[in-house]
Amino acid sequence: MANSELQVAILQAQTRRHFLRSLGSGMGSLVFGASLANYAAANESQAEKSTLSFARNATTPLSPLPPQFPAKVRRVIYLHMAGAPSQLELYEYKPELKRLDGQDCPASFLAGKRFAFISGVPKLLGSQYPFKQTGQSGQWISDRLPHIAEHIDDICFIKSMRTDQFNHAPAQLLVHTGNPRLGYASFGSWVLYGLGTENQNLPGFIVLLSGGKSPDGGKQLWSSGFLPSVYQGVQCRSHGEPVLYLNNPPRVDRALRRTMLDAIDDIDRQTHAEFGNPETVTRIAQYEMAFRMQMDATDAMDISKEPESVRTKYGCKPAGAEFANNCLVARRLAERGVRFIQLYHWGWDSHGADAKEALNLGFADRCREVDQPTAALLADLKERGLLEDTLVVWGGEFGRTPMRENRNGQEMKYIGRDHNPGAFTIWLAGGGVKHGITHGQTDEMGYEIVQNPVDIRDLHASMLYMLGFDHHKLTYSFQGLEQKLTSVKPARVIGEILA
Amino acid sequence: MTMGSSLCAGRYRSILVSFSPILLIVILVMFLPPEGKEGAQWVQFIGRFHPLIVHFPIALILLVPVLEVVGRFERFSYLRLSSGFVLGLATMAATVAAFLGWCLAHTGGYSGQLVTQHMWGGVTLTAVCWLCWILRGWIAEPNAEKYYAAGLTVGVLLVSWTGYRGGQISQGEEHFTEYMPSPLRHAIGLPDYKPLAQATADSFYAVRVQAIFTERCVTCHGPKKQKSGLRLDSYGWLMRGGKHGAVLKEGNARGSDLFRRITLSPDQDDFMPKGKKQPVPPDQLKLIELWIGAGASGALPQDAIKNLPAGGSVAAAPIQVSFPEIDRVAVAKAREKIAAAIAQLQDKFPNILDYESRGSADLVLNASLLGTKFGDADLQAFAPVADHITVADFSRTAITDRAAPAIAAMTHLRVLRLAQTKITDRTIKALNACNQLQSLNVYGTGVTAAALPLLEKLPKLEHFYAGQTAITPGISVPQDLTGKLVL
Repeated sequence: MANSELQVAILQAQTRRHFLRSLGSGMGSLVFGASLANYAAANESQAEKSTLSFARNATTPLSPLPPQFPAKVRRVIYLHMAGAPSQLELYEYKPELKRLDGQDCPASFLAGKRFAFISGVPKLLGSQYPFKQTGQSGQWISDRLPHIAEHIDDICFIKSMRTDQFNHAPAQLLVHTGNPRLGYASFGSWVLYGLGTENQNLPGFIVLLSGGKSPDGGKQLWSSGFLPSVYQGVQCRSHGEPVLYLNNPPRVDRALRRTMLDAIDDIDRQTHAEFGNPETVTRIAQYEMAFRMQMDATDAMDISKEPESVRTKYGCKPAGAEFANNCLVARRLAERGVRFIQLYHWGWDSHGADAKEALNLGFADRCREVDQPTAALLADLKERGLLEDTLVVWGGEFGRTPMRENRNGQEMKYIGRDHNPGAFTIWLAGGGVKHGITHGQTDEMGYEIVQNPVDIRDLHASMLYMLGFDHHKLTYSFQGLEQKLTSVKPARVIGEILA
Repeated sequence: MTMGSSLCAGRYRSILVSFSPILLIVILVMFLPPEGKEGAQWVQFIGRFHPLIVHFPIALILLVPVLEVVGRFERFSYLRLSSGFVLGLATMAATVAAFLGWCLAHTGGYSGQLVTQHMWGGVTLTAVCWLCWILRGWIAEPNAEKYYAAGLTVGVLLVSWTGYRGGQISQGEEHFTEYMPSPLRHAIGLPDYKPLAQATADSFYAVRVQAIFTERCVTCHGPKKQKSGLRLDSYGWLMRGGKHGAVLKEGNARGSDLFRRITLSPDQDDFMPKGKKQPVPPDQLKLIELWIGAGASGALPQDAIKNLPAGGSVAAAPIQVSFPEIDRVAVAKAREKIAAAIAQLQDKFPNILDYESRGSADLVLNASLLGTKFGDADLQAFAPVADHITVADFSRTAITDRAAPAIAAMTHLRVLRLAQTKITDRTIKALNACNQLQSLNVYGTGVTAAALPLLEKLPKLEHFYAGQTAITPGISVPQDLTGKLVL
C-alpha cells in the first residue's frame, strides 16, 4: 500500500475505542510528536506476530493465499433451502410422534415458548410421509428424497442444529453471516477474504437463486459486511447473460471496450493519486475482472455445453432459474476453481396457510425440485474426483415444530408446521467430514435436542476448520474489534464429524 | 475504654471469663477434629460464614498496634484511647471466627496437615487476643506494657501465618507463586512458570481418557468447582494437579494419587468420586492405568496402546480439536531453498502455485486453471520444486504422456489429477516412484484396464477416479483395488 492509502486505512479503522485507549497510552506519543502512522505501524507489526496477515496487492485483492493449516476442502457448495424445510418430513424418523398424531400437544411443550403462529393448544402431527432405512449406514430417510437416499452413505447428518432466531430473515442472516443483524460479512466473503480465489477470470463467490423468490434475508446474505466490498458474493443468472450488462452492447466490440476501459482506468488512477481512496483501486480491479469475465463467465454458466446425458441426470429444464440448472452450473464452477458457490432454493416455509405452503402439496413439489439435482451433483462431483476436496452443505435456517400449525387457534385447511429454532437438521458431504454418520439427537418428538447440540457458530467454526482455519485467527479489524465469523461467543469445532 | 477499666478492677474474673471460650474451642478442636467428611447441614451452613467473618478480626488485630504506635505521637494521642475497644472487638470477632472455623473444618469435608495448621493457628491467635486484652487492662502494672507489646507482635505474626495457610486452603497451595514472574521465581529458587500443556486432538488422551473425567469428575473438578484446587476438564489442568501438587506420576499408575484414589475401596476416606457417585468402572480404570503407564503423554497417538479393554462407555467421547501454533522460524527455514524458485514460478504462472498452508513448505499446483494453455513444455519449469509438490491438478490441460517423467519426479504427490487430458497408460506406468499417492484421477482419459495392475505399486492409494474411460463397471478389478476404484 502506498503511504497515503495506509493513512486512509488507518483513519478509517479509528474508532471510539481506539480514541479512548489512546487517551492513556497515546498522549505521551502525541506530546513527543510521533506520527499517528508510526504508531499504527508499530501496532501492526506487533499484531503480525499473533495473527495471520491477509494483506494483498491493492490491484489483486482476490489473489489466492494459503490456508493456516493444510485444508481438507478447497471449495464449498452451499445449498440453502430458504424457508426452513421440515426435518420431520425428510430426515427425522419419529415413530412415537406418528403414534401420537392428532393428540393435544402436552403443556410442557408450550410453556415459555414463542411461536410465529401457533396459539392455544395445537395438535401433534406425525410425519406426512413414510420413512425407510437405507444404505450401509442404515440411516432413515423419507420417501420424498429417493435420489438423495442413494447417497446416504456419503452424507454426514447433524440432527441437533439449533438457532436463537425464529424469523426467516434474522435466522438466515445468522446462518450466513454468523450474526442475526445486518452489516456482517457472509461466510463466502470470509472464505474469499481468507483464501482468495484461484480463477481470476471468475468471481470467487457466486450466488445462484431459484424457487421464484429471493430468500427473506435478501442480498445481505451474501454481503461482505464490514469486509472490503470486493469480497461480496456476485449474484449470477443461470440462463442468458450470467451477469447483467456483462456482454458488449450492439456495435461495441472487445477492442473498443478495451479502449474505453483504458480511458476509465486513467481517470480512476488520477482520482486515486489525488484522494488515495482504496475503493478506487478496487473499482479498477472490478472493471478488469468484468472484462476477463466476458469470456469465461459466459462459458462457465452455459450448461448447453454439457452433454444431453448429464443434463438429463440433473433434470435440467431448457431455460429458467431452476435449482437443477443451478446445480449443474455449480459443478462447472467448482471445476473452474470458484471458491464459494452458494445456491438458494426458496419455498420451504410449510405453514399450511395455502396449497403452496402445505406439507402434503407444495412441500412435495419442493422435494421433487431439489432431490434429483442434489443427488446428481453429489454423484457428478464424486465421479470427477471433486467431492474429495469440496464441502457440500444442505440445510435451512431453522426447524419445524412437531405440532400442526393452528393459525389463530383454528384448524387450518392445509397441513403445516410452525417454526422451531430449537432443533433442525442439516447435512454435509464431501471432503473433511465423516461419511454415513449422524451427529446429535433430538427427543422422541423431534422437538428438543437431547444429545450434542450444535450452534450455528459451531458449524461455522467446523467449516472453517475444514477449509484450513482456526476460526479465532481469521479476523478483520473493524470498530475496534478483531471481528470474526463466529462472533464473540465461544464456538466449538465439532471434532466428532471430522474425517 | 470503660470496658478496659472495669476489667482492670476484676482482673481474676476476667481471666476466668476469657478462659472459658478458649477452653471450649480447644476441646472442640482436640476431641472433634476435621475428619474429611461432609457433615450436618446446620453446622456446615454456619461454618460457611467462616471465610466471610474471619476478615473482621484480621483487620481489627492489625489495627491495634497501629493505634498504639501512632498514638504515641502527641498529635494522635487520642487514638490510644480507642485501642482497648478495638482490641476487645478483635478478640470477640476472633473467638467467633475460630468457632465458625471449627464448624467448617469439622463438617465441610476437610482434612490434612494444612487444615490442622490453620486451625491451631486460629486457636492460638484467639488465645493471644484474650491475653493481650487482659494485659491491656493491666497496662499500669509494672512490665505489663512489655508483655502487651510482645503479645501484639506475636498476634500480628500469627495473623499473617494463619491467613496464608487459609489462603492455601481456598486458593491452592501455590496461590502466591503460581503466577509469579520468572525473575522473582528465580530469586526464591523456583523453576520457570509453565503454561498449561495441551493434548493433541487425536491423542489417546483426547479421544479416550478425557471423556472419562468429563463424565465422572468435572462436576467437582472442573470449571465450576475445583475441589482441592484440582481441575480435570483438560490435559493441562490435570497435569498441573491440585493444591496437594501433582496427581499423576508419568509412567507409574500405582504411584499416582489420582489412580490410587479411584481404585480405593469406596468406604475409604480418600476414595473418589465422593458422595453417591458411581465408582469408575473397571474397563475405564484399566484404560487410565494403561495411559499413565505409557507415560501419561498428551501426544500419545490414540491407537498406540493395544489390547484395550472392551467397553462401550468410552466410544462416544467428544473429540476436541486443537490448533497448533505455526512456528514461523521453522517454516522460513524449510522454505529457504525453494523460496527463490517459487517466487519466479509465481511470477510466470500467477495464482496456480502456492504453499499448501502457512505452516508448510509443501506445494499445491493447479494448472487446470490455465486449460489448454498449459502443456508439456510448461511443466519443465517446475522441476526445481518438483519434490515439494503434494497436490497437482492438470485436468483439462494440454499435457500428454511426454509429461510423465516430469510428473514422476514429483515423488511426494498425494493427489494427482489428470482428468480430461491426453495421457494414457504410459503415464500411469511412470508413477511407480510416487509412492505417497493417495488419490489419482484419470477421469475422461485414454487410460485402460491395463493400468489397473500398475496401481498395486502405490501402497497408499485410496481413490482411483476412472469414470468415462475404457475402464467400465463390469471389468474385473484386482483384489487390492476393490473399494478404491470410482467409476
